[in-house]
Amino acid sequence: MEGCLELAGNVPEDTRQLSGADEQALIRRAQEGDHEAFEALVRAYDQNVLRLALQVVHSPEEARDLYQEAFLKVYRSLRYFRLEARFSTWLYRVVMNVCLDYLRRQNTRKEVQGPESEDGQPEYFQTVPDERPALDPERAVHSKEIGRRIQAALQCLNPRERLVFELKHYQGLKLRVIGELCKTSEQTVKNCLFRATQKLRTELGDLV
Amino acid sequence: MNCKEFEEYLTLDLYGDFPPEQRAAYEAHLAGCVNCQAAREQVRSLHEVLAQRPRIEPSPDFLVECRQALADTLDRERLGWRGLIRDWLSFLQLPPQRVAPRVAFALSLIVFGFGLGWTLRPGAARVVPSEPGNVTTSSLADADFENMRINDISRVAPDPKTGDVRITMDAQRRVTLQGSLDDPRIQQLLVYAVKSYDNAGIRRDTLDALRARTKSPNVRAALLYTMEHDPNVGNRLAALDAVRGMEGGDDLQQSLTEVLEHDSNMGVRVESVDVLVDRVEKEGRDEAVLSALERLATGDPNRYVRLKCASALRKLGSDGFQQPDEK
Repeated sequence: MEGCLELAGNVPEDTRQLSGADEQALIRRAQEGDHEAFEALVRAYDQNVLRLALQVVHSPEEARDLYQEAFLKVYRSLRYFRLEARFSTWLYRVVMNVCLDYLRRQNTRKEVQGPESEDGQPEYFQTVPDERPALDPERAVHSKEIGRRIQAALQCLNPRERLVFELKHYQGLKLRVIGELCKTSEQTVKNCLFRATQKLRTELGDLV
Repeated sequence: MNCKEFEEYLTLDLYGDFPPEQRAAYEAHLAGCVNCQAAREQVRSLHEVLAQRPRIEPSPDFLVECRQALADTLDRERLGWRGLIRDWLSFLQLPPQRVAPRVAFALSLIVFGFGLGWTLRPGAARVVPSEPGNVTTSSLADADFENMRINDISRVAPDPKTGDVRITMDAQRRVTLQGSLDDPRIQQLLVYAVKSYDNAGIRRDTLDALRARTKSPNVRAALLYTMEHDPNVGNRLAALDAVRGMEGGDDLQQSLTEVLEHDSNMGVRVESVDVLVDRVEKEGRDEAVLSALERLATGDPNRYVRLKCASALRKLGSDGFQQPDEK
């Protein structure tokens, strides 16, 4: 986590960790218009990006849109990237801004999804199979209910709190790294995380 | 440490981000404060509850789907108006210290170009009103691509006599551009249209215009792309026909083999066999082609394709291929 920004999760087979020199060479080639080099950069990071997007939006369609929007922005502005900066930080900052914009739009439109969609269909979050062993049906129902409550509670956080909490609690990033992504101080991130935790304690108080 | 400070550190404690220098004061406060002990338990329980939220792991299929969608978007980006404009105006996006000499150079070019254009005016690219009344005219050189906002391409017409191509499109205003197929901007427009435009007829007209310029790497790539990916069977067949005259190359052979093995339409697969046989006869034996034909001769779901492949193998004199009984 220190050397290279890495989100939690399994690395897919075709995603290889790039060495610093390889990555710089790829960035240079991509900046010169080499499409294959850009594709290689995408493949090095895109599973993590997609996982974060899915975790934030809980809808495959919207996650795909965020994924595309993020990499399109990276493609359009790659020429401005300075090689002395860390590419992963720059990339995830773009991703984070895209996610923040999404969450803000959701707030603005007052369309924050409730625990269940309007047409009564279970949201994607609920369709993800729970792979934990030996869940009996009653416990599975209980677990789904808790999942709905958590999702609703997370939607009470403002966009920045939501993303900071997501990156810390579910992706396991260091506060310093989150600060770099947010272009803010570690103290500010700490305060943000504290507020998010307090709000969740209030929202989920009856479950704890 | 008071209770308020304790609560702030409490969050960090559970995430393992606790500053070591505060540990002693924190533990001391915790040991003596019942309320903070309860708060710690509550936050610990909260973490246990939050851990019940399932992690969503993107499936490999979903990842592939997203990558494909991104590749398509990037293709459109590269070949679309934004890409054209970015290429043309890329020098303006350089750091300011590098812009000035380039602007000066560009202005010199404009002055020179104006003079040249004036001198050679009769042969210059020209604008053709396609329908009197609602048509605005503008020459290729004058065309304001940046603000054009194209809604629809209604006609692509190559002129075999002059070698020019005429493109009629509805932008904010309807315009027709006419210029040589060798003009890189015309080529870029056509490559964009053949790969990305949603009207199959226009893609076909564009293909017909482009097939005269298969030596251009961009055109070649666009034709191979059409042959493999165009959703319209007729267009894929036309692209197959267009590549017959192309110079050989690994890219061509790979695309043809890809079509032979994976195209969903049996007519296209059959046509690809003919094209491949022609190429092998012209360019010599190719083991990759022969083994693809052998696979298809036994494994293609369509009987006619299997027979066609077997016949091609016989024609090419493939050793050791045993045609299975076809009943």
